[in-house]
Amino acid sequence: MNVLEARGISKRYGGLAALSDIDLTVAKGQFVAIIGPNGAGKSTLLNVLTGLVMPDGGQVLLDGRVMTRAATYKRIRAGLGRTFQHGRTFARLTVLENVMIGAAIRRDLGEAALRDAAMAILEQTGLVAEANAAIGSLSYGRRRMVELARALACGPRILLLDEPAAGLNSGEVDQLVDRLSDLRAKRELAVVLIEHNMGMVMRLAERIFVLNFGCNIAEGTPSEIQTNPAVLSAYLGEGYVHAGV
Amino acid sequence: MAMRTPLALAAAILAVGALLSFVLPEYHLRLMNLSVISAIAVIGLNFAFGYAGLISLGHAAFVGMGAYGVAILTTRYGWSPWLAMPMAIAATAVLAAVIGFPLLRLKGHYLALATLGLNVSFYIVASNWISLTGGTNGIARIPELHIAGQALPGERQFLWLGLVVLAVAAMVASILHASRYGRAMIAVRDDETAARMTGVDTTVVKISAFVLSAIYAAIAGCLFACHTRFVAPEDFTYAHSITYLAMLIVGGESSIVGAIFGSVLLTFLPEWLRFLGSAYLVFFGVLVLAILVFLPTGIVGLGRLARRPPRRPAAPAPVRVPEVGS
Amino acid sequence: MADFIQLLVSGLAIGSVYALAAIGFVIVYSATGVVNFAAGQFVMVGTFAGVAMLVDAQLPAPLAYSAALAVMALFGALFFLVVYLPLRKSSVVTIIIGTVAIGITMQNAALLTFGSWPFRLPSPVEGRTLALGGAIISTHALGVVGVTAIMVAGLWLLFNKTTVGVGMRAVAQDIQAARLMGLKVNRLLALSWILAALLAGVAGLMLGPMWFADVSMGDPIALKAFAATIIGGFGSLPGAIVGGLFVGLSEVLGASYISSAYKDLISFGIMIVFLLVRPQGVFGEKIQDRG
Repeated sequence: MNVLEARGISKRYGGLAALSDIDLTVAKGQFVAIIGPNGAGKSTLLNVLTGLVMPDGGQVLLDGRVMTRAATYKRIRAGLGRTFQHGRTFARLTVLENVMIGAAIRRDLGEAALRDAAMAILEQTGLVAEANAAIGSLSYGRRRMVELARALACGPRILLLDEPAAGLNSGEVDQLVDRLSDLRAKRELAVVLIEHNMGMVMRLAERIFVLNFGCNIAEGTPSEIQTNPAVLSAYLGEGYVHAGV
Repeated sequence: MAMRTPLALAAAILAVGALLSFVLPEYHLRLMNLSVISAIAVIGLNFAFGYAGLISLGHAAFVGMGAYGVAILTTRYGWSPWLAMPMAIAATAVLAAVIGFPLLRLKGHYLALATLGLNVSFYIVASNWISLTGGTNGIARIPELHIAGQALPGERQFLWLGLVVLAVAAMVASILHASRYGRAMIAVRDDETAARMTGVDTTVVKISAFVLSAIYAAIAGCLFACHTRFVAPEDFTYAHSITYLAMLIVGGESSIVGAIFGSVLLTFLPEWLRFLGSAYLVFFGVLVLAILVFLPTGIVGLGRLARRPPRRPAAPAPVRVPEVGS
Repeated sequence: MADFIQLLVSGLAIGSVYALAAIGFVIVYSATGVVNFAAGQFVMVGTFAGVAMLVDAQLPAPLAYSAALAVMALFGALFFLVVYLPLRKSSVVTIIIGTVAIGITMQNAALLTFGSWPFRLPSPVEGRTLALGGAIISTHALGVVGVTAIMVAGLWLLFNKTTVGVGMRAVAQDIQAARLMGLKVNRLLALSWILAALLAGVAGLMLGPMWFADVSMGDPIALKAFAATIIGGFGSLPGAIVGGLFVGLSEVLGASYISSAYKDLISFGIMIVFLLVRPQGVFGEKIQDRG
């Protein structure tokens, strides 16, 4: 069973086709990367998958259930998780409280159980020492880790990550790659990664999906994509070869 | 363990309030009663604005609904105030849900002006639906409260009742603040989209915060009606709504203690400025502005300021494109 | 029919005043992001500047009006310095409370100076009327509509044909970019406040002869100006004009044909309907549904 399936997604803004006829399937525990130049429609696709933007055409299925028009919180409760491109945390809550919001998706948990569940996530993500810290006191990289922890606390079966390495230093990127590999191994978590850091994409992704001008121009394993002529001309030709490989 | 803060808060309110009830002169007891009633309303407003970020300029309308509910049920239908109060509170909650459902899709100053319109509409209806509300003359002769067959004899005894209600209201608010519901409200204000992405049903959270704030407002309105034993539209104008917001911000937004401090301060401030004679309202406005400018985190911020460095200033409000001649 | 024409003209006249107040509110909001809850008090100050010059000082009309507008310009500059600059980095709500607080100060300062007894502010065309289609129409009301039309045309020229006006629009669009372009941003922001105060001054001078000059007249005007801005479209100048005229007409026609007690409910009811169904108003931009 595919944990996530998008069929024929299209979205127009005025005369501009942000997405045209996109198909994407992600199997249980699979690691998929979406790459493409800026403005290719990657974030729009995540917005459609998470219900922040309604598509003009096509279907979104989670675990085989049609959720094309479902409210965002319902998709999250159905096993979807997402982080944002610029890292969005709740500034007036502590690290622990941020993660407890995610854990509260389980409505049967009492206050103490919520705290325990959140602490367990903080342990997995290496945030225990900062549990009671105010968000404002953390570095950007740590804040993005809190956002990831918060998404994980919702217990997702598939996680959509929008440029999680942007703005992180190389040590933090390595740490992030380790955490993600670790999570996949332990949780059978499927991941959809949008990333410009090609080194990270090549290390983690099983399949790569290339978007350009809202169209899917190629799809395949990392080695297939690296040698695909359409990708080379559309994407790598623009100078992204240097971006972190 | 989790109950320590709420219980301490309630105990502190009762202790300080009881002490004040014995040392203050009779006239100040009346102002204390008005402070306590405002504080209950403002703690309610803190759910909507302080936690969930819903700018409401219509809070006084909900205070008015509670007050008019008691006034109408007791004087026209002969209900006991003790029966009329829960009925008035329930009716206000239902109305708040019905109003909130369409209105809370709005944000920022759009919501501010919509709730302002709600308050103005309430005032117009209360002033003109004479057969029900008595129009601008209001409703007089609201029966006094009896406890154990005894009428509350004066301001001091009413204050004790008010303090008990305030203590319970503050305790419940404090418990909610530290619960999943309070956190969800705060998350909605901090980043609504991220809250949805964390599985929070933001519509339900916003409506709950709004209804909860209306319930507190209605409780304050019930006490107001039983305290003054007279209600008129003039007591529930949008200017009162803005005063409630000012009390919250002057005290310290998102803080229950701040809501209480702000209510007491702004209720007593005109009294303290009395030596200025008829010029006191001129200084009142300037003083409130000065507090906003020099104490952006309110009175409770004074204590925090001593312990922590000041927060970074908020980002300036978004600026829109003018459409002159385009 | 004669009645209707009379009502139409007085509705347009009162609507013109609301429109001018709303335009001042929009200019300040566009330039500075401030939702000015003292906007109604600005109009009140304008009326009483007229009272001071025409009634108290007994100046000849041209001199009195110029002096009153000069007072308003100074007042706008003072407001910029004392209220806007200290509050400019505060949240929306703090600014709302701050402008309300200073509005209380303005109203009570006027009360101390002029007392609570309403004044009669004379019109330069005092008592004159015109016959139009069988209806007797006050010349003052027609004059108000005319002056407002001239003001609007002047604003259009200012914002489209002058360096200062184009600079003000640039500041309103993107304050950072305007600063990088070397514009004197603070001076242009101050000018926005002064312009808003002048518009309110003209509105107040024209309103004085139609209503009684009363220190508590600010709040109802502010409410009408808000309704006008929402109906026309928040941040839109054409919207402020259309919204202002609409609110004025609905008030006068509603009072006469529907119910005088509930006349204000009509404009606020329509405002709330607009907020719910079309929050961007008649002319406003589409509001993004997220973010």
